[in-house]
Amino acid sequence: MFWAIDYLCLAGVIVSAIAAIRIRNLNGAVMALSAMGTILSLLFIVLGAPDDAHSEVVVGAIALPTLYLIAIGKVRAHVTDDSDDLGEVGEGR
Amino acid sequence: MTTIYGAICLAEIVVMVPLLIRLALGPTVSDRIVALNTISTQAALAVLFFAAFAQRPIYLDPALWLCSFSYLGTIVWARFLERGLL
Amino acid sequence: MKSAVVIVLAVVGVGFSFSGAVGILRMPDLYTRIQCSSKTITMGAIPVLVALVVAEGPVSSYGSRTLVVAVLLLSVNPLASHALARAAYKRGVPMWPGSVVDQGAERRQQSED
Repeated sequence: MFWAIDYLCLAGVIVSAIAAIRIRNLNGAVMALSAMGTILSLLFIVLGAPDDAHSEVVVGAIALPTLYLIAIGKVRAHVTDDSDDLGEVGEGR
Repeated sequence: MTTIYGAICLAEIVVMVPLLIRLALGPTVSDRIVALNTISTQAALAVLFFAAFAQRPIYLDPALWLCSFSYLGTIVWARFLERGLL
Repeated sequence: MKSAVVIVLAVVGVGFSFSGAVGILRMPDLYTRIQCSSKTITMGAIPVLVALVVAEGPVSSYGSRTLVVAVLLLSVNPLASHALARAAYKRGVPMWPGSVVDQGAERRQQSED
């Protein structure tokens, strides 16, 4: 049962990391990054490293995406890519 | 009893699969936020049940962190969405 | 006996969690997805946590942290969902075209008249 949990966490980390680099929308990519941090902390727990899981939860899943959101909100950049919903960063839904 | 705990942990991780699909597909950012909230909850439950499966109480503390601070991104995004600017 | 109770509670919780996740995947617009997410918390997470408390006892190291997690989930997560839904509604995120009633729009029109 241990190997099934291990492989599922690994697959989740890979899927969310690919999503984080494939999403063309900045805020959506930040969300995928936060999901990657969450599942990576779960993988650290499964591999038996609770200290790394602590730092990964606090930094990678909570603090870093929040700081990225605030920074993207402060910078009113114009992104000329309309493959996703955000033509302009200021008017996302 | 540990087998039951392992099965519950596995099931909570399997529940994450549709949420990851919605996170990757989601047409707007708010849909991704909703999926991310539910992923955080499922990860906290999986950590709890993995700690009970491995019989290590030290593994329990990231679950506390995860479910007590995972709402910060949602609150920040809600403010950003409501005012248009932080 | 105890393991039977644990299995029943866990099956109920995991079933509701999975149905909520499929609802988040399949529902047509944002508000119904938020509703599915709230159902995943209330009916999906709480029975599973109660199962762990029943199995380990409330005064063990597992049971105490499980109770803290349950209290935090029940207090924090509706707050985040409500803030997100309120911000999305104020911003005017479109509803599903087949939705029937929008009471906030009627109230907003009455206050404008």
